[in-house]
Amino acid sequence: MIHKFCIAAILMASFAMAQPPAGPPPRPSAKDAAPEDITGYWVSVVTEDWRWRMLTPAKGDITSIPLNPVGRKTAEAWDPAKDEASGEQCKAYGAPGLMRLPTRLHITWQDDNTLKVESDEGTQTRLFHFAIQERLGGSGTQPSRQGLSFAEWDVSHPTFMGFAPPPPPAGGKLPGSLKVTTNRLLPGYLRKNGIPYGAGATLTEYFTRTNEANGDSWLLLTSIVEDPQYLASDFLTSDHFKREADGSKWNPAPCQAR
Amino acid sequence: MRVPALIALAAFLSVAPAQQNPPAELHTLHVQGSVYMIVGAGGNVTVQTGDDGILLVDSGLPGNTDKLIAEVRKISKGPIRYLINTHVHPDHVGGNEKIFLAGSTVTGGNVTGDIQDAGVGATIIAHEAVLNRMSSATGNQAMPAKAWPADTYFTREKKLFFNGEAVLLSHIPAAHTDGDTMVYFRRSDVISAGDLYVTTSYPIIDLQRGGNIQGILEALNRMIDISVPADKQEGGTYIIPGHGRVADQADLVEYRDMTTIIRDRIADGVKKGLSLDQVKAAQPTLDYDGVYNKPGGFWTADQFIEAVYKSLSAKK
Amino acid sequence: MTSFKRAIILGPLFALWACAPVFAQKDIAGEWDNRFDEDFLERIPGPDIGDYLGIPLNDAARRHADSWDASLLTLPEHQCKPHPSDYGIRGPAQMRVWKEMDTVAQTLIAYHTHIFWQAPERVIWMDGRAHPPDYVPHTWQGFSTGKWEGDVLTITTDHLKTGWIRRNGIPRSENAVITEHWVRHGKYLTVATIVNDPIYLTEPFIRTTDFVANPDQQIPAYPCESVVEIDRPQGTVPHHLPGTNPFLAEFAMRYNVPVEATRGGAETMYPEYRIKMKNFPKTTKAAQ
Repeated sequence: MIHKFCIAAILMASFAMAQPPAGPPPRPSAKDAAPEDITGYWVSVVTEDWRWRMLTPAKGDITSIPLNPVGRKTAEAWDPAKDEASGEQCKAYGAPGLMRLPTRLHITWQDDNTLKVESDEGTQTRLFHFAIQERLGGSGTQPSRQGLSFAEWDVSHPTFMGFAPPPPPAGGKLPGSLKVTTNRLLPGYLRKNGIPYGAGATLTEYFTRTNEANGDSWLLLTSIVEDPQYLASDFLTSDHFKREADGSKWNPAPCQAR
Repeated sequence: MRVPALIALAAFLSVAPAQQNPPAELHTLHVQGSVYMIVGAGGNVTVQTGDDGILLVDSGLPGNTDKLIAEVRKISKGPIRYLINTHVHPDHVGGNEKIFLAGSTVTGGNVTGDIQDAGVGATIIAHEAVLNRMSSATGNQAMPAKAWPADTYFTREKKLFFNGEAVLLSHIPAAHTDGDTMVYFRRSDVISAGDLYVTTSYPIIDLQRGGNIQGILEALNRMIDISVPADKQEGGTYIIPGHGRVADQADLVEYRDMTTIIRDRIADGVKKGLSLDQVKAAQPTLDYDGVYNKPGGFWTADQFIEAVYKSLSAKK
Repeated sequence: MTSFKRAIILGPLFALWACAPVFAQKDIAGEWDNRFDEDFLERIPGPDIGDYLGIPLNDAARRHADSWDASLLTLPEHQCKPHPSDYGIRGPAQMRVWKEMDTVAQTLIAYHTHIFWQAPERVIWMDGRAHPPDYVPHTWQGFSTGKWEGDVLTITTDHLKTGWIRRNGIPRSENAVITEHWVRHGKYLTVATIVNDPIYLTEPFIRTTDFVANPDQQIPAYPCESVVEIDRPQGTVPHHLPGTNPFLAEFAMRYNVPVEATRGGAETMYPEYRIKMKNFPKTTKAAQ
């Protein structure tokens, strides 16, 4: 027996198909279209690669990172004193390295199409731009420590016989994650002991929020760094942040080269 | 020092707390081959069934026997021919009399006609130490005669062939008690361990009835020797413990390892001349208490430590 | 094609599809190759004795790990143990995931996984069935049920055998309940594993593991046979008596990590622990 909803859907679909093509519907803002809410305070929970993240590893310790020979040679030349002298204490706090540091994040909407991600470690700020204008202006943007980040909601798009899915009911949303692609980076470090990434590096990130039965909420971050200058293959890591009720543990600390 | 031992003795001799509760809810699990496990009757009950009839291992608490028999009948309507007791404790022999009366024995030869009631009742088998304790031979409170094992053995092994498979009874001297039997159903590949192995507490050692930690370890190691996992340390031989869930060799190994490690820690204390209190203060069971210690329960970590200490300290 | 004809032909098909059970587009079935861009040393050669960093373990777990002797694994009955499902993806874990479908209704019954090391196979029931009662056997892979939450597959597993958080003696009890979130992003799969173990952990313990799609991978077989490697008296179980493990401080000395930090605990997982570490005495190297 066909459910009543299916009968209505058949009728509506047939009606829609019989109508002349209409203009595109108004695009909702990124904030309105968000399939998940990742705003709030989040703390990095360091359960993996502990002694490479909670401590500054020794020079030349490149464990787990797929460096090419140029990358290895560059890592072995790391000189934190030189970075301090030249005011480059924040080289390990660029986007590719920042999210691996033991940090807290504060994520808010700067506007309806821009997410702001602040870290207390190194007092860094990243902006994730959803709006097309910022994306089009990307090539003219000067490289920076945090680079230029383009954001989109990476939603599920099940297809049938090549057709796109019907729009969700009013107020409903397709499930998905936040995808952020970052380039226009200044050269920096993947780790605090001088593991390099170059200006041509691209960072792709996926943020997914979970809600647990015990009330915990996790922000799972999958990161892929591609850097033809220093890496032999893409560098794939995943981190996890636990949601905190408020910013009472927020503890801004400046960048440190060591 | 005598009071805790007396309390423990009273606990063993007395009707277990569960017996004074309403009859429990029983559940049946088909373990493997011809063998089933019934939980909830007191100690776990093993049922082997087939064309020859029914063989039970242990009979639970007295208050649960009617339900136990009804549960057995869901598995098979055949005659109950054998009841094997793994040891003498009430939660394993409490249903002996009713089970005996519900069953029947195959008789023949010189017995037929000469002993009119020879075929009446199931055959109850146990190590002779169980009969000795049940029948007040040593001054303990006697159980009714119909509950006694009439077929006892005093050697290390006894063998049967029933329902198409060898049924091997092995006696482990001085383990949980002095009258323990473990039963191995060879074709079904299931061991019924009685309280030689439980998954719900530390090994229970009834010192008053001849138990000893070294016997417990001998039993666990013998079960490990008999059992064979199917693949990657899982499945194959299954073990029905006296209490708790069905296990396989890997679970048994984990339990044996725990018991050995704690025994070694306490033995080290005995060797150094530490008192029982000093050994307890060193918390030899700390890393396993979360799993096996039930404060306020029937058998606690403290009781286990004391039993091991006394086992190891006893003059030989 | 006129609008009318289009409506007649395509409309019902479209609507029937809209009425079908919703499948997440980001399905997890396929061949997955795991990556070791994190924790390589721990996951492949193995963790150091005494490294409890970043694990919210309690005193019971600490005692278990301090007592653990790697020689335990030479016992025949320990040699062929596979990793339990909560740890299996951390090791050499080329993985195959496939779907079991109800042929008539085209509904998903289960996902199955096969992992390279020791070849464990796992079933993740997707048909809403209940978990079994307490008295059934526990297995290395446990009993798993899953459900899609948006495009995240959330899996709950219990009925596990006693296992390990880390392969240096840090235990995971058979009472634990494991929650996993499997998230696919294109050719990448991230698995978050959260261990809830009231026996050995003071709070939930999370790790995330990454895979890359590799449709051409061939997973070899992994037979295992136990042998007697060392002639020992029957029943010998290698372990260290409390307070006698001579290897516990080696990790701290070798990597210049504060000894106190190596003892682990929940506080070692959080950024503020670095402030506490600054007040620890400097780790001293053993005299030559």
